[in-house]
Amino acid sequence: MAKTRELRLPALQVKQGPKRMLYVFSVDGKLVHRFSTISRVRRDEEGELRGYQRPEVLSHIDEIKRFIEGPSPMIPNAVVLAFNSSVHFDPAGSEFHPEGYSRPGTLRIPFEEDMLDEDKPAFVVDGQQRLAAVRDSSLDSFPLSVVAFITDDVSEQTDQFILVNSTKPLAKGLVYELLPNTESRLPSSLLKKRFPSQLLNILNAKRHSPFRGLIQTPTNPSGIIKDNSILRMLENSLNEGVLYRFRSDDGAGGAIDPMVTILCAYWGAVSDVFPEAWAKPPKKSRLMHGAGILSMGLLMDTIADRYRNRIHLKRELFAQDLTPLKEVCRWTDGFWDLGPGQKLKWNEIENTPSDIKQLSAYLLDKYKELVWDANHPSERRARGG
Amino acid sequence: MKFFFPDSQDLVDPSFDFETERRAELRVRQRDDLYAHEVFRSRAYDGLLVSKGIVDGYGQVGSRYTIGQKHRLLRNGVKEFLRIDKVPYPLEVMGDCGAFTYVKEKVPPYTADEVINFYSDCRFDYGLSVDHVILSYQPDWDLKGAKPPDEVKDRQALTLSLAEEFWTRCKARKEGFIPIGVAQGWSPKSYAHAVKELQAMGYSYIALGGMVPLKTAEVLASLEKIAEVRKPKTRLHLLGVTRLDHMNAFATLGVASIDGTSPLRQAFKDASDNYYTLSRTYSAIRIPQVEGNAKLQKKISSGVIRQETARKLEKAALSAMAAFNNGKLDIDAAVEALTEYEELCAESTPKEKKASAAKSRQSRADVYREVLSDQPWKKCGCEVCRSIGHHVILFRGAERNRRRGFHNVWVFYRKLRSELGLRLEDAA
Ligand SMILES: [Zn+2]
Repeated sequence: MAKTRELRLPALQVKQGPKRMLYVFSVDGKLVHRFSTISRVRRDEEGELRGYQRPEVLSHIDEIKRFIEGPSPMIPNAVVLAFNSSVHFDPAGSEFHPEGYSRPGTLRIPFEEDMLDEDKPAFVVDGQQRLAAVRDSSLDSFPLSVVAFITDDVSEQTDQFILVNSTKPLAKGLVYELLPNTESRLPSSLLKKRFPSQLLNILNAKRHSPFRGLIQTPTNPSGIIKDNSILRMLENSLNEGVLYRFRSDDGAGGAIDPMVTILCAYWGAVSDVFPEAWAKPPKKSRLMHGAGILSMGLLMDTIADRYRNRIHLKRELFAQDLTPLKEVCRWTDGFWDLGPGQKLKWNEIENTPSDIKQLSAYLLDKYKELVWDANHPSERRARGG
Repeated sequence: MKFFFPDSQDLVDPSFDFETERRAELRVRQRDDLYAHEVFRSRAYDGLLVSKGIVDGYGQVGSRYTIGQKHRLLRNGVKEFLRIDKVPYPLEVMGDCGAFTYVKEKVPPYTADEVINFYSDCRFDYGLSVDHVILSYQPDWDLKGAKPPDEVKDRQALTLSLAEEFWTRCKARKEGFIPIGVAQGWSPKSYAHAVKELQAMGYSYIALGGMVPLKTAEVLASLEKIAEVRKPKTRLHLLGVTRLDHMNAFATLGVASIDGTSPLRQAFKDASDNYYTLSRTYSAIRIPQVEGNAKLQKKISSGVIRQETARKLEKAALSAMAAFNNGKLDIDAAVEALTEYEELCAESTPKEKKASAAKSRQSRADVYREVLSDQPWKKCGCEVCRSIGHHVILFRGAERNRRRGFHNVWVFYRKLRSELGLRLEDAA
């Protein structure tokens, strides 16, 4: 029989209701696994469901690990544990503080070295990924704050598990809008959105921006272009198009001013050439729709590549190259003539990958035919099809 | 003879860290990644083959290119896109339609002009005519009185008429690439017929399609029949055929170039021949990721296997390989760690399977013992083996598997050259 040890931790007992006590304390995250276990979902021999936790998600753990191994980590949200009744609280005094509803004392957690999971006195209700990250990290220790309750009832643990895990996540749009004001290490999926979000905010706010006030975000609900359409257009160009030229080597940002200048010049030209389709809601103009923004974004990259040796790409230059396309675009009425047997009513273009693909192929083809090739008689080819 | 390597956006991420298995977070796919010709300082192929079908995607076959990548390819041309203009030796690029992507259709979905536009926009060195694959090879249909079904005859006739249109349009448009006519057939005689027709149209470079599933003897039989009609100047290209054993015979029969992905794909598709050397092949050592292995993941989320156990054994297998590579662990201990994890991955609940599991464990252990005692990665001079060491032999995740595929392509090219008695520096 292994020797039973006892972990004694300073804690606060919080009275949340006549019968409900919570315990708030802090403990080295590296220690938690020695006295607590994860209740994994499984079926027992009789096919009964046991446990309630999912497996760990390695990629998520790795994100947290990178963060806590970073220069100034902080995990303010508490891990939630459910203790069984072998855990005791010894109050230092008898009175609950009337304002704080709490009293200090000592929490006594009995455990043995290398005890079996099923014998451990605590279950992790919330925070298994955080705990795993601390456990696997290269740090010697990392204290976490813990909120715990004592119960021998598994269904109560399950209730709490479901409750803490069914809160609604933040709306994506709001997260993106907040991103540019962050400086800390973010999960890489968000990190990739930070710079495009910053550009979006500038385009939506800058006085001479053709997009001023037009992009719909949580703080600008009257905007008409979906924020996601603009983000995707910007990401496309940052990866594959003209904005890539101004991207910093680490990809975290880049030269904002020339990027904004080019974006304003091009989209300003778009608004000049298609005034009847600009700044109308997507229901009335497909130019303001995801498909329009994305395919016109690809055209921006194409035109910029045609003039890749020029340093300044002026609004007039873009307008000059866009004007011949006026006759083949049907943003607000009529039919797109996408090829033999491929007539599409103006409002049948949807924001789907296949429609975006088709529309952008059409626009780029027409641009090549009417502008690029037409202006280079020496390179002119008989294009069939 | 030239070897063209078919591109389907097979790249490796140079920021990938083999110890932590992390990569640069803001890495941009393709732009920050490396092609095989950027990984190796010396040649691993003479050129690349790019298919319109792979770039566009067709029907159920999705594109390997994002829409942004595709348009950048069309804007800047294939050499800039694949960054072969930065390689210190010349590489050529061949374009084709990717006939396998639309093999189930009645007729090819592209017109000659559409395909020529693609070759022309991308500035290819060679462009293959539009073709329609014939999937039945029946030499019996050459016998007197035999009647090949209309469907195969129609496909050949269609391929020939598309080739004729392709040739005429190319000449009229004065395109810069060299047109290659595609011959499809179902037998030696029918292939010879197609080659004869293509030569009559004006082609002096002819690609033979539909030969991927053929046995080497069948390829040779067809080449011999073609030799009877082939003009001395006509060069042949074998689409998708990479049989090293008969390259000299192929060359004698007029084959000037080949292409194929099997050296790459064997690295992670083959059951045992995953790692090439000049003299033989080895099996890779399987240490699948606990996450990313669907079978294992299912067992974990249903509670059959404990995640902690799986992770522990996975880590043990990885560190055993590292320790073995450094000479700090003996073969038996390394094999023990590898098979223990592999057994967990393969674990099947019913007890009656235990006997067969033990047997396969024994044979796996033998295979591993062999590759561990030879340590072929220590003898290879390619950039992949020299930079990542024993990781190249691990069957685990795309970054390791694809690098092993690159190594195979590099070795394959060397074998091909030596088979043909050519020096590596020689132009084909
Ligand atoms: Zn190698």
